[in-house]
Amino acid sequence: MSAHAAAPSQGHELEQSKFWIFVQIAMLLAVITGLELVTVYLPFMRWILFSVLVVLSTVKFMFVIFYFMHLRWDRVFCTILFFIGLFLAAATMIALLKLFGADASKPLASAAAAPPALAARAA
Amino acid sequence: MSSEAATATIDHHFDPTTSTGIPNKKILMWAFLASDCMFFGCLISTHLIYRLHPPPGTPPARQVFSIELTSFSTFILLMSSLMMALAVNAIQKGNLKSMRWSLLTTIFFGCIFLGCQVYEFRNFVYEKHLTITNSILGSTFFTLTGTHGLHVLVGVIWLSGMLLYSFTGRLTEKQAIDVESMGLYWHFVDIVWIVIFTAVYLLEYI
Repeated sequence: MSAHAAAPSQGHELEQSKFWIFVQIAMLLAVITGLELVTVYLPFMRWILFSVLVVLSTVKFMFVIFYFMHLRWDRVFCTILFFIGLFLAAATMIALLKLFGADASKPLASAAAAPPALAARAA
Repeated sequence: MSSEAATATIDHHFDPTTSTGIPNKKILMWAFLASDCMFFGCLISTHLIYRLHPPPGTPPARQVFSIELTSFSTFILLMSSLMMALAVNAIQKGNLKSMRWSLLTTIFFGCIFLGCQVYEFRNFVYEKHLTITNSILGSTFFTLTGTHGLHVLVGVIWLSGMLLYSFTGRLTEKQAIDVESMGLYWHFVDIVWIVIFTAVYLLEYI
């Protein structure tokens, strides 16, 4: 984000070094994908595996947006603009999952197959 | 002017002609991607909601999915992102030849991803009997991954157009922002897949 303030020669060196940064990050992303694949077969509790998967995906996500998409070197306004959309999307997802995750939101066909108290309420 | 000298004078992260210091095309692309986040957020939520309450008769997703094929697709898309980043890096240095090879490889990887998706869809429809109309899992899954696939297809067409355009001689280091905007779109397709891979596929296995 502050790349424009650097001297031109420093900027050129940065462009040169980016090649190796990109290659290293791609390798790291491939390794993380492999780790995710291994994680789902580990005999741990579901919430632990879920947390690990969320963290690993978030790390991959952040590496791609900050390095491959140049947010690390661009002005902070781009980061803010994208994160506004990301925040709204995440908030919408959480709201929808909470709203429709409630028992009262179960589809009638599922509710009928559920415990009697719930099925009676659905009827 | 040699390309090295040009690199020293062009700062690709700062545009003095705009009030924000950011090229307008880049702001436009980031605004579009921010809105696309919400679009995919809703599609992913819909899929997850119906996975929370699967109606009776819904086939178990774990028996339908092929994690090996999806992992391969994920790897391919990650490598295509690397090649896209290298293409942007090449054009910012004025290296047109390197950019062309990187774009061609990105297109190749994009086509492999699309091929895998077509194979997966065919397998689901004809072998696993999961269609977009016969179950809610099918409806939400095909809508979500199909929309993503459509984004990949648009990206491949855009990349191919840019590759052809580079042979006209009108694509120089000064137009690097055009390649960079296209790169932003392509990387976005990659990050959406990162989320889909975890939320739709991997969560079924834990």
